[in-house]
Amino acid sequence: MLLGLRNCCIRRSNNHKAEAQQLLSLKSEVSMDPAEHGGDGNKAGAATTAAPQLVLKQLDKRFGATHALKAVDLSFERGEIHAVVGENGAGKSTLIKLLTGVYPRTSGEVFWEGKPVALATPHEAIDLGINAVHQEVVLCPHLTVAANLFLGDEKIRFGLLQHGAMVRAGQKILDDIGFRLPAGALLSSLTIGQQQLVATARASTRGTRFLIFDEPTAYLTRQEATQLFALIRRLKANHVTIVYISHRMEEVFQLADRVSVLRDGQLVATQKVSETNEKALITLMINRAIEQVHYKESIPFGKEILRTENLSGKGFQDVSIRVREGEVIGLYGLIGAGRSEFVQSLFGRFPKTGGQIFWNGKPVEIRKEKDAISLGIALVPESRRDQGLCLNLGVGLNLNLPIYHRLTTASVINPVAESAAADRQIRNVQIKTASRDALASSLSGGNQQKIVVGKWLNHGAKLFIFDEPTTGVDVGTKAEIYKLFAQLLKDKAGIILISSYLPEVYDLSDSLHVFRRGRLVATHDSAHVSEKALHETILTEAMGA
Amino acid sequence: MSVQASEERQLAVTRRRAQLGTLLGLTLLGLLAILWIALAFSTNSFWTYNNISNLLRQGAMTAILAIGETFVIITAGIDLSVGAVVGFTSVIIAWLLTHDFPIWAAILITLGIGLIIGAFHGFGITKLGLPPFIMTLATLTALRGIGLLITNGATISITNTDFTGFSRGDLLGVPNLFWMVLVVAVPSYIFLHHSRYGRYLFAIGSNTEAARLSGVNTVRMIYIAYILSALCAAFVGILLAARIGIGNATQAEGWELQAIASSVIGGTSLFGAVGSVHGPLLGSFILTTINNGANLLNVNSFWQRVITGGLIIVIVYFDGLRRRKR
Repeated sequence: MLLGLRNCCIRRSNNHKAEAQQLLSLKSEVSMDPAEHGGDGNKAGAATTAAPQLVLKQLDKRFGATHALKAVDLSFERGEIHAVVGENGAGKSTLIKLLTGVYPRTSGEVFWEGKPVALATPHEAIDLGINAVHQEVVLCPHLTVAANLFLGDEKIRFGLLQHGAMVRAGQKILDDIGFRLPAGALLSSLTIGQQQLVATARASTRGTRFLIFDEPTAYLTRQEATQLFALIRRLKANHVTIVYISHRMEEVFQLADRVSVLRDGQLVATQKVSETNEKALITLMINRAIEQVHYKESIPFGKEILRTENLSGKGFQDVSIRVREGEVIGLYGLIGAGRSEFVQSLFGRFPKTGGQIFWNGKPVEIRKEKDAISLGIALVPESRRDQGLCLNLGVGLNLNLPIYHRLTTASVINPVAESAAADRQIRNVQIKTASRDALASSLSGGNQQKIVVGKWLNHGAKLFIFDEPTTGVDVGTKAEIYKLFAQLLKDKAGIILISSYLPEVYDLSDSLHVFRRGRLVATHDSAHVSEKALHETILTEAMGA
Repeated sequence: MSVQASEERQLAVTRRRAQLGTLLGLTLLGLLAILWIALAFSTNSFWTYNNISNLLRQGAMTAILAIGETFVIITAGIDLSVGAVVGFTSVIIAWLLTHDFPIWAAILITLGIGLIIGAFHGFGITKLGLPPFIMTLATLTALRGIGLLITNGATISITNTDFTGFSRGDLLGVPNLFWMVLVVAVPSYIFLHHSRYGRYLFAIGSNTEAARLSGVNTVRMIYIAYILSALCAAFVGILLAARIGIGNATQAEGWELQAIASSVIGGTSLFGAVGSVHGPLLGSFILTTINNGANLLNVNSFWQRVITGGLIIVIVYFDGLRRRKR
């Protein structure tokens, strides 16, 4: 066993060197001339003929009674970017886990370069050259970037770690693939997006021939995404097969050669990207036309809920906004532009240093979260897992947490009132759950978000701050979240929406506020501008070009 | 039709969750029964009135400690000090009684000191930001030291026979000490499973930040959890002093581990948010029975420690296995 591990390490380290050289030979040109890469591809194509890199035949996976993947036939060509799309629960994650050897398949065959393989363990997959970049960063935050890059494959001399050599080699790898990251920095000192890039660098420089990306851009800024796309194209030119899983359709069309659609564990279609379009794909994914979101038109704005006048604080200055009943204001900007800091300050996380907040027209002081909560401000955080929910407890308990004092007589809970309150809120925000006792962790992302909202509604919240509400959720869930917005607005709530996804801010907001370097640089009324015109303007404003 | 189907599914899930708790309870109860039956057949002395009352008296103290410890563990914390608190408070009550305090006043003062110790833990954890493990490890060693300083290392003998007689007495044939378990367990059950504060403890153990943002006063709840644990320990200190008739700060060494083990065997998760009152009760009597049986079977007492360790691994492993299968 130990010997096997050691062998594997040596093999991997050899692969690694070869790969690093390959990458070096590509130099660090940022220009992505398709002709140039096409040339590269042809040369390799001549050397190794067109046997697909990986072929799946009648791949099947059952978990007890659940049939997660149903007889999937799929082939991945060498050096292609193959997008896989589908709603949550369509079988994408199961597919990744079968390909990376995390789960064994129930039946069916897998061929790697024409030869049948078992893919029974993660080790086997890595040895073949199959790697994945997961949505959540699986690295060691307390080690340096370089140490993470070389983890399991350290540079050693006389049994001692060569820290300096690893930092230098790591920096070279990062520079060569065009990621502007410090190899000597602690991983935990980087943003989530940067950590994701480190994970990508690690996965792509280990003799990888087949690389799976699971929602890689969910946490990336635009520049980081650009760096990532450049790397993906470079890997493709290097004949690495890329499987790209994303909910963001425009990325699929921007990057991929072919796209496969999964629905309910079945492969519905595999098409060339050039021969299909967004609408057709979405229809395939959900097999029903997506309803248009209609709420902006019908809801007249009511009274003013919140107004800030020249509010300043840590990371932002002089921000003046206003939210009325039934209004959504969108905050757009790059990460670090100050919009998160601004809402954190509204929610009492950081005290303001200047300016004034008005609630229902009256000046108020928000010094602590408690002040914000008792006014009726609700924060639906980006990481629902960290701040929003008690995941290993029941849906009902989560919903009732703010109102238990109303469900008790002398602090003893009235079980009938407790159940009734939970059921009422489950119906009200339409949470799809087996029961009020089901664990919050057993629900889908969209439904977990509804629990957070339901909880705040119980609290009597009037203003909802949504921080990146649709990160990593599928099209169907997104539509449900939009419906939830509509319902909140109808009940005269106001919404502040933060999103790095411009089409979303545009679609959902009545007015759009652009942040740059801690300042509100522009405000647009979305109803009066066309999306395309606005898109360019806003990007220019946000990036300060 | 689909409504019906979903309702059935809902019922199935609710039932399964209910079964999970009941199943562990029944397994533990079955284990206890098997132990008792096996010991009744293999020894002459187990199934005697004296031995059973002795077992109930001994188990009672571990049980009360384990219930207190469970409140803390549910918040994803740990209280390592309970054994030291038992020893320390046995000195306090012995000192008070030898200085002619009336019994009721001595008990109240001792419980008050337990409350102060628990509040100090809460202060260290919430205000000074110390990890519970460190905070209670520090008071573990400090309290033993203070106890020894008070008596200068000596043992205080308790001459008040009203006080010591209580531990030997019984009511309806059941030892008084065992009744004390019910005195603690019944309010604890109501507190943990039927009051909002119980819900808050679970919520804190699951996700403190979410609980805090939901308006739960998490600082106060953590104070409450550690105060309850220390109060239970002080109560056990009183019972122990009554039982052995002395106060000595070195008593009850290692009882914190017995309490934690009982709680964990009873299904409490050290990661927080999972636990009950009946679980630790059963867990503590299982541990006590094993020790008692080992004595009767003339098993070297050193082996008892090994057996306890093995049992913790086996039970927690099977429990984890069952949870994962779900």
